Amino acid sequence: MRRAFVIALLVLASVPLLYGVGQLPPIGSTDNPTYTHVVPRYIQQAEEEAGAENIVTAIILNYRGYDTNGEVTVIFTALVAVLGVLMITRSDSGPSVPISPVPVSPVTRFIVRTLSPFILMFSVYMVLYGHSSPGGGFQGGTIVGALLIVLSLVTESADVQRLLPPAVKVWLQPAAVLAFGVIGIAGLLLVGSYLAFPVEGDLVFLRVPWLTVIEVGIGVGGAVIVASIFWAMEGSA
Amino acid sequence: MSRAFDLVLYALLISCALMVIRTKDLLAAAIIFTTYSLIMCLVWQLRGSPDVALTEAAVGAGVTSVLFLITISRTTRRER
Repeated sequence: MRRAFVIALLVLASVPLLYGVGQLPPIGSTDNPTYTHVVPRYIQQAEEEAGAENIVTAIILNYRGYDTNGEVTVIFTALVAVLGVLMITRSDSGPSVPISPVPVSPVTRFIVRTLSPFILMFSVYMVLYGHSSPGGGFQGGTIVGALLIVLSLVTESADVQRLLPPAVKVWLQPAAVLAFGVIGIAGLLLVGSYLAFPVEGDLVFLRVPWLTVIEVGIGVGGAVIVASIFWAMEGSA
Repeated sequence: MSRAFDLVLYALLISCALMVIRTKDLLAAAIIFTTYSLIMCLVWQLRGSPDVALTEAAVGAGVTSVLFLITISRTTRRER
């Protein structure tokens, strides 16, 4: 009885969904709304208007800068929520229990330690070259965060955490939000509205440094947030 | 050729998604979900969005898997 009810409900729900899919414009047609509104302008003018060779970066950080500002705020809020929940439920039962009962193999440890400088270099490349090639602050930052996590797993987690003293960590966790705030207010003062980038005139040279500040802010903030969530979960046995 | 490769990837994606739902062992489910993310990363790359592919590889296949694994090690491995 209940099973039949669920199936009937699913069939009922699929009818409007399938009808909606049937109304979508054909894939690849040049008359699609996605190709006729703002996209031609992005493709033709992104480089001179936004100052980034990579159109994706130009859209994310310049045309749709408010969206990205909101997104980094969401990620920071997620960290605050995770830390808050773990703070309430934390049981102060001595030192943290290791995650795996199996000791880390020396081979794994050697490989991770040998590769880590190259991983770090790749992520720095990705953050700094995000405005001319695929990648950017978030991807590069997540790779640094993953590197910190993997180092915590194969070596002593406390040694890795010592790289970021709490006083420094507190200021690096909201780095992305702070970078957006600083650039946003700079835009307000110098160009006229929040997060506005100069399009022409004497201040045009500021665009690439501003993009870089935001990218580095997103990268640092993302890395520290990802690693902080890991450390918080690891410490709560 | 590329069309056939696409179809293989989609078949793998769907079977991974079904396996994740059906597996009762949460550790196995987390690892299958990592595979799902890796295949999804290939799909993004083939569809011409390298930025999303990079994010999928770093976040989907890397960080979330580790967070799932910690959660399993802190709770229990069997689904009830």
